[in-house]
Amino acid sequence: MLRAALAQDARRARLLWALLAGLIALFAVSILVGRYPQPGVLPWWRLAEDDLALRLVFNLRIPRLLAALLLGMTLSAAGLVLQSLFGNPLVEPGFLGVSQGAAFGAAFAIVFLSSTALVTQASAAAFALAGLGLSYALARRLRFGGWVLRLVLAGIAVSALFSAGVGLLKYIADPLTQLPEITFWLLGSLASITWPRLLNALPAVLAGLTILLLLRWRLNVLSLSEQTAFSLGSAPGRERLVLIVAAVVPTAAMIAISGLVGWIGLIVPHIARRIFNADTRFGMPAAILIGGIFTVACDNAARTLLAGEIPLGILTSLLGALIFLGLMMAQQIRARP
Amino acid sequence: MKHRTLTFALLTALSLTITACAAPLPAPPPTRADTAPVAVASPTPQAGVTVVDALGREVTLPALPQRIVLTGRALFMIADAIYTFPEASQRIVGMGQTAQGSGNFVKLIDPNYAAKAVLERDAGAEQVAALQPDLVILKSTAAEITGKPIEALGIPVLYVDFETPEQYFRDLATLGQVFGNPARAQAVADFYRRKIAQIEQAVAGAPRPRALLLYYNDRDGSVAFNVPPLNWIQTTMVQIAGGQPVWSDAKLGKGWTQVTLEQIAAWDADFIFVVSYFKNPSEVVGALKADPNWQALRATREGRLFAFPADLYSWDQPDTRWILGLTWLAGRLHPERFPGLDMEAEAKAFYRELYGLDEAFFMAQIRPTFQGDLP
Amino acid sequence: MSDAVLCFDAVTFGYRRDHPPILREVSFALHAGRVLAVVGPNGAGKTTLLAIALGWLRPWRGEVWLNGRPIRTYPRDARGRWLAIVPQSEHTPFDYTVLEYVLMGRAPHLPPLGIPGPEDYRIAMRALEQVGIAALADHAVPTLSGGERQLMLLARALAQQPKVLLLDEPTAHLDLHNKVRLIEIVRALRAQGLAVMMTNHEPEVVLAVADDVLLMAAGQPALSGPAEQVFTEAALRRIYQLPIRLVEIDGRRHAIWT
Repeated sequence: MLRAALAQDARRARLLWALLAGLIALFAVSILVGRYPQPGVLPWWRLAEDDLALRLVFNLRIPRLLAALLLGMTLSAAGLVLQSLFGNPLVEPGFLGVSQGAAFGAAFAIVFLSSTALVTQASAAAFALAGLGLSYALARRLRFGGWVLRLVLAGIAVSALFSAGVGLLKYIADPLTQLPEITFWLLGSLASITWPRLLNALPAVLAGLTILLLLRWRLNVLSLSEQTAFSLGSAPGRERLVLIVAAVVPTAAMIAISGLVGWIGLIVPHIARRIFNADTRFGMPAAILIGGIFTVACDNAARTLLAGEIPLGILTSLLGALIFLGLMMAQQIRARP
Repeated sequence: MKHRTLTFALLTALSLTITACAAPLPAPPPTRADTAPVAVASPTPQAGVTVVDALGREVTLPALPQRIVLTGRALFMIADAIYTFPEASQRIVGMGQTAQGSGNFVKLIDPNYAAKAVLERDAGAEQVAALQPDLVILKSTAAEITGKPIEALGIPVLYVDFETPEQYFRDLATLGQVFGNPARAQAVADFYRRKIAQIEQAVAGAPRPRALLLYYNDRDGSVAFNVPPLNWIQTTMVQIAGGQPVWSDAKLGKGWTQVTLEQIAAWDADFIFVVSYFKNPSEVVGALKADPNWQALRATREGRLFAFPADLYSWDQPDTRWILGLTWLAGRLHPERFPGLDMEAEAKAFYRELYGLDEAFFMAQIRPTFQGDLP
Repeated sequence: MSDAVLCFDAVTFGYRRDHPPILREVSFALHAGRVLAVVGPNGAGKTTLLAIALGWLRPWRGEVWLNGRPIRTYPRDARGRWLAIVPQSEHTPFDYTVLEYVLMGRAPHLPPLGIPGPEDYRIAMRALEQVGIAALADHAVPTLSGGERQLMLLARALAQQPKVLLLDEPTAHLDLHNKVRLIEIVRALRAQGLAVMMTNHEPEVVLAVADDVLLMAAGQPALSGPAEQVFTEAALRRIYQLPIRLVEIDGRRHAIWT
């Protein structure tokens, strides 16, 4: 019995390595996929001859691919953390006012401050954290229901508040210059990613992902009730906060440069759980890898399928919703052999 | 176990399919646009050009650009300004959408239009790069989203505004350098300067009637009237034409601001001009004149409710035609100062001087598109 | 007090400050190798008592001593190695395997970023064997019956290798066979030197295994002491409002009610 369990763990580890290999392969192929000079695959030897192609690959495609990769990774990891901590498989980063706060922050910067990348990102990150903090503070003051319910209710209220704020900002935005930027940003797109924008978000993202990977087994313990986690020797309030901050800050940083991209944080943890089961020791790296694969693939389609850019958020929503429906319909309660 | 491998296989297949679909063809044999490494092949090698664009950036071009691409939103306005240069047709190889409503001026006057690449509205940097441009011209408002990635590819980008009279003079001069034809830039700028000076002289000293300019919009189901911000060209035009914009004391937003009929009545303007981009402004004003609410307004009663003129594009926008709109406005506001004003002749002169279109072309292609309050 | 492993010293606690406290000046001592049963009607505060013993709730007045030091001075992982609790029930929205679930009991022994190793797996399996559900190790938790789940929670607590075990109504969902099994497990743990505190409202179980008893009744001071002294017929009748008789059979007392 024990040997069987250890063997299964080894099997899951091998599967993770396979996913990693798949991700690297996809990344390598994606570098050569695009619309230059024709829609299709760029022959790699052309990189040696064509200066523009070289610059295209290094200054545009690679930072964009990295952005897609990191976006998928952070959203999926954050989704997994939130789903585990709230014991609710229907949660994603948009739940705690994080996404809406980031949207409000970006729109606010575009309308009132300057729309340079740095200011927009900083404002989005600040308001995303504010949304999170506000939800948390509000949840602590509510006197209704358990911790999970309180946080959910607070998150909904804060999200609604920021959504209204975004609506107001759209209304007073300059329709020629500012409104298109806000709308473009709200639909989510990686079309304007350059190295400086990516590097701004990189520290927060790498730090957050590292922390989440290190705490991947501990997340199991913290997904239990507060008292139980306490009895198992953890400080549940503090440790959960660390996990949430490590999940939300990178999410805000990425949303600030990519706009709102939804459904990834909801879908990918589900897929990871289906394949690797509930133990987040495997679930966390799995969600990260699968999220990266999913988003890179979607972004490839977004920038190559049609002559114009398809907003990434639309593609992920479409595919994510379809996959979600498929998963829900194939749901079965398993008692394993 | 079976369930898991199935999901895993599905996932892999899905991601590979998406990527594969995104790469439908192997690279086909090179076409005209897909030539060898980018080298600016200029038939007449000239010295390099350095200009300062609308954002204050210094743009250095190794030679006069021969493969210019126009992209971004609100393209037709700057395209119309660029096409005042005769070199434009030859040197522009691709552009985005230039249509507004049913008009597409560039298509009309550019004999090489069919050979040019047409970009989608949201074309990304890669699509632009595929045209191998040696200069991309954008409106400055598109800098963040569209311009930066193109700049990152090392392709020279020039930003223009063309929103106010001063910007027209400035950006025309810049384009003169880019096309290597500063004389032409001067000639076009002088055309505008002369007209403006003429009008200002004519209305000098005249009392300024209270004028209201409204943009009529019924596209999302309900009818809305909007006034422009104070720094837009519509407001400037009313002022130069010798009118007093009544909405200058309102707290306005950054774009078109909706106003109620009550506010319109409260303003009690001497003149009301109605702009409509998608519906024929004459039809719109006709309907308003039949509306009892509007009949109660003094301007309507005194016969001073006018439909703002348009041909392929409305004459109120910061498109090159704003000078025609200005002339027309002045004629309406101060008819006694402009005896014998013939808008058709003005338009003919405009198209002849700026675009080299002769009378026959004008009568066949432009005159029939006249809308609004024109003879 | 001196050799007690867990000691309540005049603990007063309530959930709301504007209401009278639930526990008033409760004092008792729990010793290694002895079983203390906490008995009382529903609502008397038994579960609250356990939460305070765990260190999860902080009393208004009084002190909880763990091995001679106030419990709140213990770092959290040390506390997790001393005390383990088996709650009445636990909600699990995700389908962990039983082994994975019990493995979480090893958390106090791991560093903050640690992951269970082969030795932890062995300890977890041994805990499963000890409670007799080793065969369910790879079953998904949501598929277990109530009784099996209870035993699984016990196994997780045992995987913590605690010195003090807190049990909240451990026999609540168990059929007779498993009830007896649990009693035997508790006896075995006592023999190993663990201190066990258990809330229970079944007189049979108390009589079968308790060395000491803490009697709680709403609105009355708590009574604690050796079982023979405290768990009397009179006390039983008072608590349960029933004509209960205690009879001795083969050296052991049994409760009879009709």
